[in-house]
Amino acid sequence: MSDATAEFFGSLTQRGHVPMLEKAKGTVRFELVDGKRTDRWLLVVDKGDLAVSRRNAGADCTLRTDKALFDRIVDGEVNAAAAVLRGAVTIDGDMELLVQLQKLFPGPPPRRRRSRNGAGGRRRA
Amino acid sequence: MSDGLVKILDGNTFVVSDSRGDIEASLTDPTGLFSFDTRFLSQWVLTVNGKRLTPLSTDDLQYFETRFFLVPGTGTVYVDSKLSVIRRRAVGNGFREELQILNHDEKPVDLTVRIDAGSDFADLFEVKDALKKKGTYTTRVTDGRLVLGYQRETFKRATDISATAPARVDKQGLTFKTRIEPQGEWSTNLDVVTAVLGTGEKHERPKFARPRGRQNMENNLKRWLDQAPTLECDWDSLRRTYMRSLVDLAALRFSPALAGYRSLPAAGLPWFMTMFGRDSILTSLQALPYTSELAATTLQALGDWQGTRVDDFRDEDPGRILHEMRYGELPAFEERPHSPYYGSADATPLYIVLLDEYERWTGDRRLVHDLEYEARAALNWIDEYADLMGNGYISYQRRNEKTGLENQCWKDSWDSISYRDGRLAGFPRATCELQGYAYDAKIRAARLAREVWKDPEFASELEKQAADLKRRFNRDFWIADREYFALALDSDGEQVDVLSSNIGHLLWSGIVEKSKAKAVARHLLGPRLFSGWGVRTLAEGEGRYNPIGYHVGTVWPFDNSFIAWGLRRYGFKEEAARIAAGILAAADYFDGRLPEAFGGYERSLTRYPVQYPTACSPQAWSTGAPLLLLRTMLGLEPVGDLLVVEPALPVGIGHVALLDIPGRWGRVDAFGRGRESPNEKQPLRPSHEPVPV
Repeated sequence: MSDATAEFFGSLTQRGHVPMLEKAKGTVRFELVDGKRTDRWLLVVDKGDLAVSRRNAGADCTLRTDKALFDRIVDGEVNAAAAVLRGAVTIDGDMELLVQLQKLFPGPPPRRRRSRNGAGGRRRA
Repeated sequence: MSDGLVKILDGNTFVVSDSRGDIEASLTDPTGLFSFDTRFLSQWVLTVNGKRLTPLSTDDLQYFETRFFLVPGTGTVYVDSKLSVIRRRAVGNGFREELQILNHDEKPVDLTVRIDAGSDFADLFEVKDALKKKGTYTTRVTDGRLVLGYQRETFKRATDISATAPARVDKQGLTFKTRIEPQGEWSTNLDVVTAVLGTGEKHERPKFARPRGRQNMENNLKRWLDQAPTLECDWDSLRRTYMRSLVDLAALRFSPALAGYRSLPAAGLPWFMTMFGRDSILTSLQALPYTSELAATTLQALGDWQGTRVDDFRDEDPGRILHEMRYGELPAFEERPHSPYYGSADATPLYIVLLDEYERWTGDRRLVHDLEYEARAALNWIDEYADLMGNGYISYQRRNEKTGLENQCWKDSWDSISYRDGRLAGFPRATCELQGYAYDAKIRAARLAREVWKDPEFASELEKQAADLKRRFNRDFWIADREYFALALDSDGEQVDVLSSNIGHLLWSGIVEKSKAKAVARHLLGPRLFSGWGVRTLAEGEGRYNPIGYHVGTVWPFDNSFIAWGLRRYGFKEEAARIAAGILAAADYFDGRLPEAFGGYERSLTRYPVQYPTACSPQAWSTGAPLLLLRTMLGLEPVGDLLVVEPALPVGIGHVALLDIPGRWGRVDAFGRGRESPNEKQPLRPSHEPVPV
C-alpha cells in the first residue's frame, strides 16, 4: 500500500526551496495517530527552505490528526482549513505558521473536479 | 436603531437583542450571541418575579457596550415601578452582563430573578437559509455553571454561563432569590463565555475563562480616535459624520483567527463580520489617509490566504485573492466553500492597487518587498487564470455551480448585469470595472517593480501590457453613439449596453482615454444617473431600472466615493464636489451612519434619502465613504515624500481643516476654503440644520 504521507514529506524534501513560504520561519511537528502508533514528522521552514526529519524535537506549532485523514489532506481530497475548523485537525502553537503551511497541500485531484462546462479558454503558464 | 434591535460587538463576536436586552431567537431570526459565525445563545430572557420587563431606555455606550434601563411588568401601566432594573452588557469572548436591581420603596422586597438561557448553535448560513442541524446537543450543570454544548463528530462548540451572586442553576437557566432592603440594591455579574473546542478538549472550562475587560476596550477605542486626524469645519453634520465613521470603523475592526492580533476591516454587522477580499481592500483604501494599519493587515492576511491550487469547489486558482472566509459548521464540513471561498474577480487586481496606494501613503517599502511574491502571483492570475474567454479581458464564471457566487463583481445580485432591454447577459461576463482595475494594477505594479523590486524589465513589460489593454478597452467597450462604456462584454464578446455607475470606477482606475472622459463625467452627473444625492447603480430608463432595486437603481455611498475620486483624477473637481455634497448631506439623515444603499429616487421627489431595507449596518465601505469623500474634497494626493493638497469644496462649505494627517511625511495639516458664490446660496445643509455664522 502506498503511503501518501511519506510521499508528501518526500516531495517536500525534494522541493527544498518554496518561494511562497519565504516569509515563514519556524518548526512544525506533525503527530499522526495511526491506531496505537503515532507517526512523527518534523518540518523546519526557514525563509522558504524546507527540511524534513523524523526527529522528536520541540516545535513552534504542533499539528495533530489521524494519519488516515492526513493521507487524504496531502492527496488533496480533504481541505486542511476546513478540517481545522471542524476540529478534525488540532493545532497547538503558532497559528500563523499553519496558515503558511496549508499552502503546501495540493488541490483536489483532477478526476474529482467537474468539467468546466464549456467556459474553456483558460491559458496555463 | 431602525429595526428595533440592539447590536454590540467585538471583532466577530456580537450580540443582537431586543430593546429589553432579551434574546428569543428562532432558527430564522437574527438575534443571539454570535461568535465565529456560530450562534452561542439563542435564548436569554430575564424575568423578575415571573414577569418580563419593559424598557424605559437603551444607551449605546460604546459599540461593544449597551445599558438597558427596565422596569418589571409589561404594558403601559407599571405595576412594579418601585423597582429599577439595569442591565449593562459588554462583549468580548462572549459577554458580561452586570445586572442591577434597585428598590425605591420604603419596604423591603423579596425577588425571584430568573435568566432563561439556551442555544441552538446555528451556523450563520443556517440562520439565513433556515437549515436543520445535524449534530447533538448537551446541557450540563457543573460547579454552579450552566454549560450548553453542541457536537457533530469532531466539531464542538460550548457556551459556559455563570454568575457572581449565589444562584440555583438548572438546565434551563439561573435563578436568584434575594431580598432588597428599602432604597437598597442587589447585583450580579452574568458571564457568558463562548468556546471553540478541539478534539482533545472536553466540555470543561473553556480556554478563555473570562470576558475581556471593558476598560481595555475603552482604552483601545480612545487610542484609535486619538491617532486619527482631527477635522475642523463649519458644517456640523460633516463633523458628526466623520466622528461616527471613525467609531464605526473601530467597531468593524476584526482580527481574523489565524492572523495574530492585527486587525482589518470586516464587511458589516451583523452578517458580514468576517474577512472579505473586496470589502476589506476597498475600505482600507478609503481609510488610508486616516490610518494605514487596516491596509497593512489586509494586505498581509489576504496574502497569507492567497490561492495556491486549482479547487473548483472553492473557485480557487493560484494567485487569486479570497472573496470570503467563514468559521461556522457548514464550511467546516465542506457543505459551503468558505474555508475560504475565492469567487471574486476584482479582489485580485484591487490587491495590487492597495499595495501601491499603501506604499505611496506610508513609504513602507518593507511590506512591498515582503509581498513581492504575492503581488507577482496576483498579476499572473490576471493573465493566466482570469481571462476565461481568451480575449485579453478578466471575466468570471463560477465553477462551483451549487454554492458558488454567480456574479463575482461588486454588483453581485442575480439581475445586476443586463442589456438595455432587460435581458440578462450570459456567462462568462467581463464587466468593465474589472478591466479598469486590471489596468490600474499593472500601472501601479510597474511603479513598484521599478522602484522597490528593482526589476525595470518587468516594469516595462507591465506598462506595455497596460497600454495595450487601455487601447483595446477603449475600442471594445466604448458605445460610440451613446458616448459611454458598456457595463460588460458578454460570452460572445458583445457589449452589454446599459448605462451604469461602473463607468465611474473606470475614471478612478485611469483606463479611460482623455478624449472620452468628459462624456463619461457628463453621464455620471446627468439626469439618468445622478439622483441629486448620488450616482445610481443603473441609469433611469434602462429595462431593469428600479429605484429600490439592490444593484439596479439604488445609490451606494461607497460606489459614489470611488466615482468622486475618479472624477478628481480626470480633473472634474466641481463634479466630484457635487457628489461629495450629495452623499454627505444624505449621511445627515442617518445620523452620520450611511447605509449600504438608499433609493435612487430623485432628490426633489422624496426630499430625504429612502433607506434600502437591509440587515447590515454599519457596513464597512459605507463607513469609509465619508472618509474618501473628504480626501477627494481636499484633493489629498501623496507625491513622493509630500502630501499635495488641492481643495475643491462643495458650494455651501466655508472651510475644512484636516489636522495631523499621518503618512511618510510624518503628520501634516490640510486646509480648504469654499468658493465665494453669493448668488448660489443653495444650502448644503438640510433645512433642520442650523447654518453656522
